[in-house]
Amino acid sequence: MKRWLDRVAVRRSLALLALVIVWEALSRLGILNPFYVPAPSAVAKVLGALFADGQIWQHLDATFTAALAGLTAGLALGIALGFAAALTPLLAELLEPVMILLNAIPRVILAPLFVIWLGIELASKIALALVLVAVLVFFAVYSGIKEVDQRLVERVRTLGGGRRVLIREVYVPSVSAWVLGNLKVAVGFAFTGAVVGEFVASSRGLGYLLQFAQSTYNASLTIALIVLIMGFVLILFAAAERLERRLLRWRYA
Amino acid sequence: MLRVRGLTVGYGGEPVLEGIDLEVEAGKFAALLGPSGSGKTSVLRCVTGLMRPQSGRVELDVPPTEVGFLFQDDALLPWRTARQNVALGLRIRGAPRRAADEKADHWLALMGLEDFGGRFPRQLSGGQRKRVAIAQVLALEPKLLLMDEPFAALDAIVRTRVTQELLGWVEREHLSVLLVTHDLEEAISASDFVYVLSQGPRARIRARHEVHIARPRNVLESRRHPTFGPLLRRLWDDLSGEPASVDYAL
Repeated sequence: MKRWLDRVAVRRSLALLALVIVWEALSRLGILNPFYVPAPSAVAKVLGALFADGQIWQHLDATFTAALAGLTAGLALGIALGFAAALTPLLAELLEPVMILLNAIPRVILAPLFVIWLGIELASKIALALVLVAVLVFFAVYSGIKEVDQRLVERVRTLGGGRRVLIREVYVPSVSAWVLGNLKVAVGFAFTGAVVGEFVASSRGLGYLLQFAQSTYNASLTIALIVLIMGFVLILFAAAERLERRLLRWRYA
Repeated sequence: MLRVRGLTVGYGGEPVLEGIDLEVEAGKFAALLGPSGSGKTSVLRCVTGLMRPQSGRVELDVPPTEVGFLFQDDALLPWRTARQNVALGLRIRGAPRRAADEKADHWLALMGLEDFGGRFPRQLSGGQRKRVAIAQVLALEPKLLLMDEPFAALDAIVRTRVTQELLGWVEREHLSVLLVTHDLEEAISASDFVYVLSQGPRARIRARHEVHIARPRNVLESRRHPTFGPLLRRLWDDLSGEPASVDYAL
């Protein structure tokens, strides 16, 4: 029993379960107003209904498509710009101030602009997710290359390695470690971009449903959607962590 | 094998080293001894081409591919296994993967690491990592070996053991070696002659001493040799600029 409790995941699950039980009890005792804080059982009922009538799938499809497309494009753009800036000083001079500015502002404020430019369909959500991810990845790659361990560079050079060998043996693995270390944050950013984009203006997606729930003061639906988004993001976090541990096994071995 | 002539090195301001002249003959082991910050490492960096001197020249009797450089840090690629690290230099020089891996395994076995080829550097102890770094350099079969305080980070026992193994290899293969160190005893027990560098900036070669201890050598036994104590005293005097007040006779 004690051994079983030693596992962090078990302790965390038990704590979460205890919170849900207390919340449910407080709701049934009438201490919590169901208009503002509906009981977990009511939230579960709404979640069940969302899947039962099949309406949720088109919204999940929209949000996932926007988030994953934004994540993929953001990773590709961030890696490409980061490498280009680190290896070309002139480009770094041009890109760095723009990226610093984009990093300094809450980038979700760009959402209305993307709606004006790209419309209320998928493209504006992908664009927002892309910008959120690309800036993060750009700095991970740029810093990764700039701060690469010079001892390793000199080691490879004294073994006879030129620029190509250095990129393959030192820079790419070093930068991969930085990027994979930021992958979980990037997944979160991609979903933030997709949902906020949908929240601002859209006709589909979890963000759209959230906006609808808020405008109708439907706390059960709001909490159900928040739980749903958290659940999916946690699954993606776990997948990202598995990928990181697999690709960076030299770090966790 | 190696001749350094009038080498002056600086980092923008006053030169760290000025007019350095030294020579390592074929099959000889030379040590460059100097206080910390005197610019010892800069000499090696100029020889390997990692750094450009302000003036002077480096003459090598072998092509740069036959010069091995053993760093102070083991500097192994953390994302490569011990085998891949040893094979790296061979692969860079065009060896097919299989041949490079086989040769890497052979060298790891010579270093007593036959069971560690699949491990990453963080899974190895400091002494094991150092052996992998030595294998990485020796696998390239260099004619000239440059070493920059390679054993400074190791504890005394591991350091003595690894130094002895390397010394044995150098003697068997008649390699030419230039060892940079600030350890007087290490310099004497390993070398045929010792160059002493003065304190920088504008550090110069202050003295050159020959070591009269026969080979093959045992690192520990060398310290009992009758010439060891007097030479240690002379090196101390050269480095400190004043006669030693301690009796070094062992």
